[in-house]
Amino acid sequence: MGKLKFEYRMELKLSSPVTDHYFALRCVPGDSLRQTVTLTQCDVSPADYISEAEDSFGNLKISGCCREPHDFFACRIRGTARTSGMLLQKGPLHPMYRYPSKYTGFESEVRDFAESVQEECRRNAAGTDMEKAVCAMHYLYTHFSYAPGATDIETTAAEALRLGKGVCQDYAHIMTAVMRYMKIPARYVNGLMIGEGFTHAWVEVYVNGGWYGFDPSNDLHIDEYYIKFAHGRDYGDCTVDKGRFLGKCIPETEYFCECGGYQ
Amino acid sequence: MFPFDAIPRVITHDAFTELEKGLIQRVDALNLFLNDIYGEKQIIRDGVVPEEFVFLSSGYLPQCEGITPPKGIYSHISGIDLVLGKDKEWYILEDNLRIPSGASYPMIAREICRRVSPETFRNHPVVDNRNYAKMLRETMDWVNTGGIPVIMTPGRYNAAYFEHSYLAERTGSERATCTDLSVENNYLYYRDRKQKVGVIYRRISDEYLDPMTFLPESLIGIPNLMDVYRSGNVAVVNAPGNGVADDKGIYYFVPKMIRYYLDQEPILKNAPTYLPFYQEDRNYVLEHLKDLVVKDVAEAGGYGVIFGNKLSAEELADLKTVIEKEPRRFIAQEVIDFQDMEIMDGDEKVLRKADLRAFVLSGEKTRVWASGLTRFSRNADSFVVNSSQGGGFKDTWVLSR
Repeated sequence: MGKLKFEYRMELKLSSPVTDHYFALRCVPGDSLRQTVTLTQCDVSPADYISEAEDSFGNLKISGCCREPHDFFACRIRGTARTSGMLLQKGPLHPMYRYPSKYTGFESEVRDFAESVQEECRRNAAGTDMEKAVCAMHYLYTHFSYAPGATDIETTAAEALRLGKGVCQDYAHIMTAVMRYMKIPARYVNGLMIGEGFTHAWVEVYVNGGWYGFDPSNDLHIDEYYIKFAHGRDYGDCTVDKGRFLGKCIPETEYFCECGGYQ
Repeated sequence: MFPFDAIPRVITHDAFTELEKGLIQRVDALNLFLNDIYGEKQIIRDGVVPEEFVFLSSGYLPQCEGITPPKGIYSHISGIDLVLGKDKEWYILEDNLRIPSGASYPMIAREICRRVSPETFRNHPVVDNRNYAKMLRETMDWVNTGGIPVIMTPGRYNAAYFEHSYLAERTGSERATCTDLSVENNYLYYRDRKQKVGVIYRRISDEYLDPMTFLPESLIGIPNLMDVYRSGNVAVVNAPGNGVADDKGIYYFVPKMIRYYLDQEPILKNAPTYLPFYQEDRNYVLEHLKDLVVKDVAEAGGYGVIFGNKLSAEELADLKTVIEKEPRRFIAQEVIDFQDMEIMDGDEKVLRKADLRAFVLSGEKTRVWASGLTRFSRNADSFVVNSSQGGGFKDTWVLSR
């Protein structure tokens, strides 16, 4: 059991003022078996109203609107989290995590890659779902390259596999798709990892009645150095910040994430 | 253009009574199914509907999980398409639970006919169908969470804009586009944000409804509407997510739903349907492919419909391979020999294929509008009745005795 201090800051600069700015943010970590969160700051401004609610996937969501013209928008979340090992949540499985989704379709690239993973599992005598997940994570880590800029937020698992490189979002989509193809339920997760400058994405796999975390970008089990924001079938279900406004401008977004001070 | 044919379809009193019972039964079961799917999922656990038919359906929206719509109603306005077979039995072709259109056509047709020939309606016992707007308004009022009623249209360039305006006028609702509506503090407001909206009959499809929840590129939706709906602060008519109950794959299971939820035998028949997903059905389909109609579950609007008797030997073999590879993707149906109806072609009476869209409204009670939209095909050899493909429509008379 440890204690992490974290900060998530998003600043949106707009080259000319915009109006009717609606937003939906999933950057507030919630409590689970492995993390207990205390917020010290939760500022979203400017805003006419803010409402907090749980979404259909069980994530905390902040939504609201700023109607008046503005050229700056910011969100700042700070707090501490008591964190522990890799088991995230016990409970019944929602069947949707068994099936392909928009970003995790079973196109030929995904099927071929999953077949190689299954072969690798056989070679390593990985028989249980937990062993298969570990094997898949390791195989993906060694057969896919980390390359910022090669993909974007719209890239699917199949497209990333075609390129052979990508970022944490792509690793997470591929592993999610592969697990589901192997009939092991899986879901996409985002949050913070200690020391990183951006938000991070990883995977949860449903084994023995509970969700366990795997980080295929780093070939690591989720441990006390991770803070989770949200999960869904894929990136589209749990985007950290979504916004829509009216106006003619060039938006520029800056993120600042810090996670550390482990005690 | 949607040509009107003056010869009405006549449904006798007894036939309608039976039809009415069957439609109410079917829509009640479909509403219970939607409640179950976005809630407990008991029908899946009990093995009546295989879960892949639910969770792989493009109409299933996980964003609707755990939401109970006001009064538990999902499909407030259901358009059930039927045909009358040569055996004088009604067969269900499909269920439309996602804001079905077309009710305004018979409303207007009747209005014109009454004006042209008032004595026809004095001398024949035809049930008055001018109550649709009243029924619709009562349906909306029943689920209203406290506010004004609104009918939302994508705008004047939409093909059904006339219907949206007409229904707004007749129900006494405000007609609105996305720019007239906005969300604040978890409530939906009309125009200057002084009037709260209690029920929104939206005539835009689910994926465009709320860009913050569904398609982000939607410019005709209301950002954060789903938050208001989730909080129970507005009724959305029809509820989002209904597509999971009216796709071609789920159609096969509707008679099973009626038995499961209502413990009743289905009154109305499905067209005989086979699901290649099941081994036994697959064998039958592969053997009788040339006599069947095969439909791609994912396609809609008359697309992805293949008539086996129109395929060459080679095409048949290809289709067999695809069905064997992806059995879940298809359903196969026997071709129904349905009754022809007379229409006027110039001065001549000719026979055409026709279907009937019955409108079922679910409010305090489930009711069937004693009318409906009868559509017929343009060409003698065609089964396609869609207005986009040159079909026309008739008034539908239900006799009161």
